[in-house]
Amino acid sequence: MTSRTRVYKTEGVILRRRNLGEADSVFTVFSPGAGKFEAVARGVRKARSRMRGHLEPLTRTELLIARGRSLDVFTQAETIEAYRPLREDLDRSALAIYVAELIDRFTIEHAENPGLYELLLATFDALAAGAPAHVVRFFELHLLALTGFELQVDACASCGDRLPPADTLLAPSAGGLVCVACRAAAGTGRIVPVAGIKVLRYARGCGIDQFAALRIDPDLARLLQGALTDVIQHVLEREVVSRRHLDEVARLSRASIPNPGQDVQ
Amino acid sequence: MAEPMAGTPEPITRLIDAFHKLPGIGPKSAQRLAYHILRAPAAEAEALATALRDVKERIALCSQCCNITERDPCSYCTDPRRDTTVVCVVEQPLDILALERAGGFRGRYHVLHGVLNPMDGIGPEHLHIRELLKRLESGEVTEVIMATNPSLEGEATAMYLHRLTGPLGVRVTRLARGLPSGADLEYTDDVTLSRALEGRQAF
Repeated sequence: MTSRTRVYKTEGVILRRRNLGEADSVFTVFSPGAGKFEAVARGVRKARSRMRGHLEPLTRTELLIARGRSLDVFTQAETIEAYRPLREDLDRSALAIYVAELIDRFTIEHAENPGLYELLLATFDALAAGAPAHVVRFFELHLLALTGFELQVDACASCGDRLPPADTLLAPSAGGLVCVACRAAAGTGRIVPVAGIKVLRYARGCGIDQFAALRIDPDLARLLQGALTDVIQHVLEREVVSRRHLDEVARLSRASIPNPGQDVQ
Repeated sequence: MAEPMAGTPEPITRLIDAFHKLPGIGPKSAQRLAYHILRAPAAEAEALATALRDVKERIALCSQCCNITERDPCSYCTDPRRDTTVVCVVEQPLDILALERAGGFRGRYHVLHGVLNPMDGIGPEHLHIRELLKRLESGEVTEVIMATNPSLEGEATAMYLHRLTGPLGVRVTRLARGLPSGADLEYTDDVTLSRALEGRQAF
């Protein structure tokens, strides 16, 4: 793709949509070659639009795009993978929306990151195939690494010393685990037990399917979720908005355990 | 804010600013509209002013279904010919008009005034969900039809409400999804097509 071509082709995952004027929408797309970008779909909110279903958020789509003066314009869109299970299950849809928001927040426009695109597809594939919610920890850890914020889990993030096999503080401001000597200077964080540290280290080297197959104690899973949320919010310096929906959905599932997760008839 | 020419009388500037705040109205359109009103007969301007005032003073939300109405409860909620055991949940008041135009539904409605949009921070507290739960808890309703749009947000809202109302034991249904009339199979997205196939019916 060169900047001189008037029309270019790319695949991408639709991250979000916002309406523009009477019948147009602007979509944020994350693509392997062109990074994150925005483009407008004209008339896409009309019932007869041919692109409408192909541009739903969380869809992996093949796109033909014309360069515009301010915003590029979609001229064709065709679904590669619609990830239906991500739309038809409340828990998985909440997780996928959270993943999409993180991609949006951690990327800047037009900066390509093919590794991150692969990670996004692998995460959506895993969630669509029914992977447990903790697979999102794998996504978060690799997202941090691929965007330059890799979590230090081998040695102390402050002094670089070896960490003894014991409960250790994960301090967001230090960027990882810190030894007892550095604890006071590292600021706040959460104490991660040895089992949790093993999970964090395992995530680095294994594949997403192997990680999905791990059996993690629910309390430990919750602790790791909280610890990684702290790190992410520290890096972003803001709240991840869709986290609230995710928490609300999780709260509802816990409240309705006798009748869990049935789909709408 | 629109930038008026220096020396523009203050009432005109105020009108331009007011128009400029409306969605889809840029500074130039705001100026054009303001000068149109200035040139229009007094009666026309008066009618606009009255309409604006009335819409804020006389229109309220129906205490039962949250539809916009001049009389509370609204005409749908007081119509004795309507089935009180079936409630159709829609995103916006305009959706009721579309369903009424289509005909075929003789139950009651409930307007959420939006959908869950997790990325934009629109949560259940921003929608009229509490009012819906109150209606369902009364025990009269036996079926809730989720008529939110078949978009990511509409689906998420329908699934959320389904789970939320689960303990109440009310039957929750979803509008069928498939091909719109006049559609082109060639351009139809995979989700719609596969759902259309799943929902096929014998002649």
